[in-house]
Amino acid sequence: MTGGRLHPFTLLAIAGALPALAWILPAPRGGAATAAVLTAAPFWLFLLLLHDVPTTIAIGLRITTMVASFVWLVAALQPARLVEAMVAAGWSASVAYLLAATLSAVPVLKARARRIVDAQRCRGLSPRGGIAARLRALRALALPLVLSALHEVDERALALETRGLVPGIRRTPLAPPPDPAVEQAARWALLLACLFALFRRFL
Amino acid sequence: MRSLTLEGASFWYPATESPALREVSLEVAQGEVVALVGALGAGASTLLLVAADLAPRVTGGRLTGSVARRDRSGIVLPTPWTQASGMAFTVWDEVAFGPANLGWPTHEIARQVDRALEQLELVPLASRDPATLSGGELQRVIIASILAMDPGLVLFDEPAAELDAEAARALWRLIRLQAKEGKAVLLATSALDALPDVADRVVWLEDGAVRAVGTPELLADVAACDAGLGTSVASVWRASGLPGPYPLTVAHALRRWR
Repeated sequence: MTGGRLHPFTLLAIAGALPALAWILPAPRGGAATAAVLTAAPFWLFLLLLHDVPTTIAIGLRITTMVASFVWLVAALQPARLVEAMVAAGWSASVAYLLAATLSAVPVLKARARRIVDAQRCRGLSPRGGIAARLRALRALALPLVLSALHEVDERALALETRGLVPGIRRTPLAPPPDPAVEQAARWALLLACLFALFRRFL
Repeated sequence: MRSLTLEGASFWYPATESPALREVSLEVAQGEVVALVGALGAGASTLLLVAADLAPRVTGGRLTGSVARRDRSGIVLPTPWTQASGMAFTVWDEVAFGPANLGWPTHEIARQVDRALEQLELVPLASRDPATLSGGELQRVIIASILAMDPGLVLFDEPAAELDAEAARALWRLIRLQAKEGKAVLLATSALDALPDVADRVVWLEDGAVRAVGTPELLADVAACDAGLGTSVASVWRASGLPGPYPLTVAHALRRWR
């Protein structure tokens, strides 16, 4: 995935700055990017029902930027590298793990949902067909997905405790990712860009 | 020297009225392997959580009586996929997760991780992504992860559940080795046939209370066999209607026949 080798803090900074800038900067006046519109077409259609075209484009582009930034971050960021980077920067290992685990929760839940769907299919419940069939399949997916996730949280808490991940620890960074000066400068630049945009917009 | 001492320990899970453990008194000494046996729900897993200082500290609930731990403990839970950190690129990193959390210097972490990988015969898998391992391989990785933290008290909850027969035999040998190195081992297992060679003492739990404590010969006891807690040889002997005392192992049975 593009950006996967960037320092985790740089990934976070880009993913944070893009939506921030998208919301802070003045709304574009029409001429929307066709690709972005096509990507989020259903969502945009919904906006169009509620707003006029310029407002739809303004809000749609901003939300698309926000969602795209988060999706890119989840795809590119390796949780283990984030933990190492945060610990090396002096953050609490528990906080670092919590943040990294949150970001990695989506693919984990997706994989679990796929396994549950496969299991339900073996029992003859197809997720395809009409709306009623799909709703039945959704119900059969949602309950075990939520319950198993909750159960796993309990067991994972026990396992992490016994493996020393408790508040207040001083974890040894094993392989902190290199943090080149260029990326550090880029992060500061993104932060300054957001502050500058905020200043120009509201002051 | 005692590593773990429970005196009259009772434990209630949150929002339950009947205790999961009832007045349990137990000692585990350094260099000793104590096995917990019992039916499902007898309280063995709960006893391990209490011994590991996870219940009630993490699970919630209420504990009465006293629990004294002399050594740092490490517990291997029965489901390996919920114990993986999810923060490791390789098996080596996964095993190093715990030692790194202890704040050890890097060279000490490397020494303990390499040792644990050798003990669990995981060196060929050291650079594999943990997500690509089988259940049995992952279980061995989790065991290595705990041993790499060098706990004085090692707690195992059904450690062989995911292992094939050969890997299970290697694990039992490793557990004996841990005791030989001076660690205290408390083990909950339904692999009763392994216990004559592994355990120094057997604790029979029933409804959260200690029903009997003894040597592994306890697993050839008539009452234990009646409760389904006899070794295979003892159970077959009993089912055949042969007279007691029941032999514990094949070797014992052969001696009886001769």
